[in-house]
This record gives sequence, C-alpha cells and structure tokens, in this order.
Amino acid sequence: MDRFVVSRNHRRAYPLGRRHALWLSTVLLYSSLSASAQKITQPGETSAAFSTRATHLLGFANARNNSTGTLSVQDGSLQFQQNGKPGAQVRIALIRDVFLGGESKQVGGLPMTLGEAAAPFGGGRVVSLFAHKKYDTLSLEYVDADGGIHGAIFQLTKGQGELVKNELIAKGVTINSRQDQSTKESAAEAKHENK
Amino acid sequence: MKTSRCNSSIGCGIALVAIMLALPSRLPGQTAAAKSSGGNGVSATPWSVQIDQVDSGNLDLAYSFQIAIYENLVGEVNKTKQFQQVFRDGDLKASEVPNLLLLKTTVEKYTPGSETRRAVTTVSGATKLTVRSQLLTREGKVVLERTVNGDVRFFGSNLRATHNLARNIAKTIKQSSWSGSGQPTAILTGQL
Repeated sequence: MDRFVVSRNHRRAYPLGRRHALWLSTVLLYSSLSASAQKITQPGETSAAFSTRATHLLGFANARNNSTGTLSVQDGSLQFQQNGKPGAQVRIALIRDVFLGGESKQVGGLPMTLGEAAAPFGGGRVVSLFAHKKYDTLSLEYVDADGGIHGAIFQLTKGQGELVKNELIAKGVTINSRQDQSTKESAAEAKHENK
Repeated sequence: MKTSRCNSSIGCGIALVAIMLALPSRLPGQTAAAKSSGGNGVSATPWSVQIDQVDSGNLDLAYSFQIAIYENLVGEVNKTKQFQQVFRDGDLKASEVPNLLLLKTTVEKYTPGSETRRAVTTVSGATKLTVRSQLLTREGKVVLERTVNGDVRFFGSNLRATHNLARNIAKTIKQSSWSGSGQPTAILTGQL
C-alpha cells in the first residue's frame, strides 16, 4: 500500500517527458566526454597526410634527379615517391630550413625544343615565347645521421610551394630569418627580361 | 770523313758532360722529396676533402643556387676519385680523418639569366656564375686557389649553370699539379 502511494507520488513528481529528458542528457553528456577524450589522443595518429605532385630536381635522400612523383608530409616525415617505386623520405625533425623560389621553365621538354628548332622562319622563337610556365621551387636543407648537411630542390606548380612550406612549419620545422626569394627572384628575372 | 768522326766524338763528349752535370743535381732533389715525404709520414695516407657550404658573400644569390652548387660539388668531386673520402659540411666523421682538406667556394659574380630570353633570342639571357674556389688544410693554409666560371648560354634551365660550375671546379682540382697523395706545398692560383 505504502509502496503504491510512493510510486504514484514519484510518478507525479517526475513525469514521463522529464525522465526521458534527464536520461537523454545523461547519455549526451557521457558521449561528449568520451568524444573529447578521443580527440585528445587522435591528432598524432590520424592527421590527414598532405600530398602534391612535384618534380625532384636534386639532393633529396636517394631519389632520382629530375624525376616526377608525389611529395607528401605524413607520419612525421617528408616523403617523395615516384610512381610504383619505393619512396625516399626524410624525417621532419632533421629539416633545418625551407626556402621558396620561383623559376620559369619551358613546357613540353625535348620534343618541344626540337619542334621549335625545326619550325621554319623563326616560328619556334615565337612559340617558345608563350611556351613557358612559372613554377615554385622549394629548397630544403636537412642533416643526415652524421650531421652532414644536405640540400634538396623540388619544383612544384605555382602556389603549391607555399602550401608545402606551411605544412612543414605546422609540423615543427623552424625557418631561418633569411627571406624567401620567390618575389625577389621573379623581380630580378622580370627586370632582366625587360632589358 | 775525318771531320765527321771528329764531330761525333765532340757530340758524345758534350752529351756525357751534360749527363754528369744533370745527375748530381737530380739526386739531391730526389732525396729532398724522399725526406719531405718521409719526414712527416703523412703522404702515404691519401687525402680526404670536406665540401663547405657555398658562401654567397654580399651577392643576392638565390638559395636554390647555393644548394645546387653545393650538391653538385659533392657529386662531381666524388667522381674525380682524387680523394679517399668526400665529406659534407658538418659531418662529424670528418674530424676523425687525419688528412683533411676543406673546399671553400665563394661566389664573386652572379648574372641572373632567363630561360625564356635564351629560347627567344639565343644570344642573350645567359646565367653566369663566377666563384673563387679554395682548397685549404685544417690549419688554414691555402693549397689551391682558382677562379672558376660556370654558365648556361643556350639550352637548359638556369640551375644548369651550377652543374657546369661544379664540373669545372672538379676539373680544376683534377688537372692541378696538386695531387691527392702528395704533400700540398705550392699555392696554385689562376683562372679557368
């Protein structure tokens, strides 16, 4: 009897909607706590890898000079991988400096050069005037296990160099006070071309 | 007949005197060389070289050029096979090597070129580099000093000038009278 009365009173005190809301809020609170705990542990493990197409000009680990592949920043290292070949990599902690530069280069490679040379009435010169494209050059300085200094140069599509540099800075690469030479270089080249 | 025999005997006599005069002067030279090589006991050990990073001085040289010169130098000097080991700047193992030379490169002149201009005009837009290249001992004694040029005039990217420069420096070292196994005594200066 007593039990029934208590139960009725209790039901009155906590109607169905309120009880559900309380239960739901408890579940939500618990799930948000567990989610934040997961966030704390995740960054090192599942941070998205950054990658872009690049041409390795020289100096990077054991990668072949003048080879095209994918330059990526992942698992605490900078990697360069040619299609279907094992990649070369350097730990980001060993990179001492990163510099951006700019170059303009003729597109089309050797076939284009030969075509221009073969074009009659100096037509090749006109073609070559428009067959140049601007690229970013990303220069790195890193050390090996013995402390020996290495340098590497990559050629990237215009604008990509800045992204890679920012990604490396975000991963902890310290940049020296020396100024990037992309703007200075382009200005010097433009000045030279206008002469 | 008689005069020809006389002439031949005079010729033989002169040749004999010349040999006798030349022989004693050559022998002390050999002894001195032997002494110098045996005296410090280092010439038997071949020399190693450490390539220092490129010093651009006051010039506004692109950093990619400095890196390219340095990397190409390491490769080209290795190819000459003049040195037992080729070390990079900062390599800790270099301090353990007894006979070590330092290769210092200072940029003296840089003319930025343009690949587009070269392609269009052919005769202008060359990228030119002039550097002073020095081989020094650990004590700072200059063994070899040369001014070397590297440029790209017709085909190729601007960075090709650095490859040509490094090849010229390596060629200079190879062709100089200084030999990797001998004692570096004479200071050789000149221009390539």
